[in-house]
Amino acid sequence: MTGERLAVEVTKASMVFNAGRPNQVDALSDIDLLIEEGDFISLIGPSGCGKSTLLRLVANLLTPTSGDVRVNGKPASQARLDQDYGMAFQQSGLFDWRSVRKNIELPLELKGWNKQRRAERADEMLALVQLSEFGDHRPWELSGGMQQRVAIARALAAHPPLLLMDEPFGALDEMTREHMQAELLRICAAAETTVVFVTHSIPEAVYLSNRVVVMSPRPGRITDIVAVDLGAARDEDTREDAIFYKKITEVREALRGAEFGETARGLDDR
Amino acid sequence: MIRRALRRSALFIAALGLVALGWEAWKAVGPEAGGEVFGWRVIPKTNDRVMPHTWEMFAEFLEPEVRDTPLVWQAVLGYTWFTFRLAVVGLIAGAAIGVGLAVLMARFRIVERGLLPYVIASQTVPLIALAPQVATIAGTWGLPKWTWVSLLGAFLAFFPIAVATLRGLSSAPAASVELMDSYAASWWTTLVKLRFPSAIPSIVPGLKLAATASVIGVIVAEISTGLSGGIGKAALTYSQKATSEPAQVYTAVIGAAVLGLVLFGCIAVIEMSVMRNRPTEAAL
Repeated sequence: MTGERLAVEVTKASMVFNAGRPNQVDALSDIDLLIEEGDFISLIGPSGCGKSTLLRLVANLLTPTSGDVRVNGKPASQARLDQDYGMAFQQSGLFDWRSVRKNIELPLELKGWNKQRRAERADEMLALVQLSEFGDHRPWELSGGMQQRVAIARALAAHPPLLLMDEPFGALDEMTREHMQAELLRICAAAETTVVFVTHSIPEAVYLSNRVVVMSPRPGRITDIVAVDLGAARDEDTREDAIFYKKITEVREALRGAEFGETARGLDDR
Repeated sequence: MIRRALRRSALFIAALGLVALGWEAWKAVGPEAGGEVFGWRVIPKTNDRVMPHTWEMFAEFLEPEVRDTPLVWQAVLGYTWFTFRLAVVGLIAGAAIGVGLAVLMARFRIVERGLLPYVIASQTVPLIALAPQVATIAGTWGLPKWTWVSLLGAFLAFFPIAVATLRGLSSAPAASVELMDSYAASWWTTLVKLRFPSAIPSIVPGLKLAATASVIGVIVAEISTGLSGGIGKAALTYSQKATSEPAQVYTAVIGAAVLGLVLFGCIAVIEMSVMRNRPTEAAL
């Protein structure tokens, strides 16, 4: 269900840390990436390939050394000011001193919403992530998976068109993780959100995404983009489908190719 | 919670009993005229003038302070209350200064680099030497002397609070800071919504240290500025009567000790209310 408009446009973006010093790191080199509205994109690659850095460029938490990043048709910095995206991290980053409900309301508070409007939206989000009974609990009273659901609810509370996620399920056990993946698809379909998802896990990327962006390190660059599209009606059976395994193999080979420096193939594809 | 408080109180009383027992035991067996170890005069005399019996100390509370006056316990209670109020003022002022400095230092790295050495150096200034000068300045400015005594309490109290707050403000998890950045939240908003709340578990132990520091500062300042009405001056006055009433000075010592405990207890109560909704409680 890809739309016409572009949610994210990354053009010739490079990121160099410690430029000119002995410990210079070329984190990203010459990245081009177009993400359409409604896309679910995974960024995958070994440590140091710059996938988190790329996510932070889109979020405008980092500014590229060169190149251009546009979100929702405007410069990334403006998109951040407008809160055009929500963000979720590996650590849920919930505030211990706030109830679950107050955590979800945080971005709305910062937008200056009044109390009643915030409460209504929090109710809606709690229902969406199926935690309605837990609104008045403290985050640390919840399990890891529930905390991550609260973090997703917080990220989506202001109804941003774009959701940026940095290994959000990385700290969860395998069973919870698979459950959360299904939940995320359901939530994002309900909220019609475009997602950029950073992960280490090949099955996770394949299950969730309609496109998997394969990256390689030193310097960080995109080596391949694997189209997946397992269809809207993914369920637990999908994980046992032949096509699922076929796509996993495809991504794995792309990763292996990237690792051995066979980058030409991936670059030629585009 | 109540059971734990009771157990703690019981332990405290038991410990107090042990101290009294040790005192009496040493008095019974120790040398009357004190003693030397390797030529150093370290063993205290055990005569009644230096080490009165513990029961004499408590009996002293029921004596008149001087002839035809209220009893000692009433007088000591009055002095303690006086000093308590000065120490509370000192603690509050110290907390305001300490938190303010920490916020400034957290906001501007250059301030931290420039200010921190002075903050540390301030704590090595000999308070006793400083107090009379400060009191003189207070006199010329027309301020009552007690404000300056409180200020010297604040002078000792602000330091642990500034250090604890500074550490607390920078302890917010990186992911949470990034989250606030992703909302384009201003520095001030991030301070109020994230950094300050996440600093509370560090600030509270700092407050506990500061509470006792404020009491010490105020008592020392009372003595060296000669401000009467508080427990510091009372201790000095009583100790000058040690020949005739050796137990009396210990009533002031006990008063000062109780004062420190009560102020510490006040902070503990505040801690319970602010830490109620936190996952872990501070150890102390």
